[in-house]
Amino acid sequence: MSLDWYGAWQALTHHPLFGAGITLGAYQLSIAAYERTRWMFLQPVLVSMVIVIGVLLLCGLNYAEYKVSAEALTLFLGPATVALAVPLFLNLRRIRQLFLPTVLTLLVGGVVATVLGVSLAWWFGADSIMLMSMAPKSVTSPIAMLVASQIGGIAALAAVFVMMTGVIGAMLGPSLLRLCGVRHHAAVGMALGMTAHAVGTARAMQESEECGAFAALAMSLMGMLTAVLLPLAIIFLV
Amino acid sequence: MLLRGLSWLVLCQLLGTGLNVLLLPMLPGPIIGMLLLLLFLLVHGEVSEPLSLASSNLLKYLPLLLVPPAVGVMAYADAIAADFWAVIGALVLSLVLSVVFAGWMMQKLIERQQRRRGDL
Repeated sequence: MSLDWYGAWQALTHHPLFGAGITLGAYQLSIAAYERTRWMFLQPVLVSMVIVIGVLLLCGLNYAEYKVSAEALTLFLGPATVALAVPLFLNLRRIRQLFLPTVLTLLVGGVVATVLGVSLAWWFGADSIMLMSMAPKSVTSPIAMLVASQIGGIAALAAVFVMMTGVIGAMLGPSLLRLCGVRHHAAVGMALGMTAHAVGTARAMQESEECGAFAALAMSLMGMLTAVLLPLAIIFLV
Repeated sequence: MLLRGLSWLVLCQLLGTGLNVLLLPMLPGPIIGMLLLLLFLLVHGEVSEPLSLASSNLLKYLPLLLVPPAVGVMAYADAIAADFWAVIGALVLSLVLSVVFAGWMMQKLIERQQRRRGDL
């Protein structure tokens, strides 16, 4: 009796849950790797991405096919974005005393971070689709991905740039700030949260409670401001 | 409990999508949904138990949900390779400058506010 190995393999890799399955597996592997090593470069999203791409290439599947079979997961991205309102609200209540410095820094610093990134990349000769994908680099990835696709960039590229920014920010940020004499915990937290989003916030939480709270606040406010203002700004500029 | 909170989140997302088509084509639906929920929380004044349960559970798995869109990079490998160094350079340089700028500005503003409070 000969078994239809090829048929079974085809049925397995083309099953509508195959994409969701390998994503779940890759994610758990990368979480385990991160928890074991605590090494900053092993960002779970980045590592899972590499594993999933490897599996897809081995199985001879393309992205379009994977996208359809991972839909069970991506469907929840919308409600998860909505859910970001909850931590934002909780943080808003926590820091009433420093409201004005926070808002001013956020507006000016946010514009500086975004404009600087885009104009430097433009100056270095990057393509316009690259520029639009890196414009929202300083905010948390669900927002950055939504915004990037809204303004004519590529969501996947935005995710990569966001991750890079976060990792570099968390690595260099604290020592840079110390070097420049920024010692107030709220200021360090703000700077890390608004430029390096979730990764920066995680780093800020290691510094102190206050530092972490401001980072979380800065991250969510920066995300919201970018989501609302960046598409508007692009419409007026282009 | 979890389901009730999740229903709220889905409802906000659906309302956001509706508003996106009707009035605000430049803002993504989920972002409008987030603003709606924030507005609701500000009016309501507190986060209900089901909502906090659903949102904390969903946000815990946010990185997992982001993997499929991130895999999309494989479709744009050529575009990335072409502009790789320009983008990396811009990312690192702008990050270094804006981290320092934001931290410095926040510190100055806090000091100013404290001095003012001291004067009063």
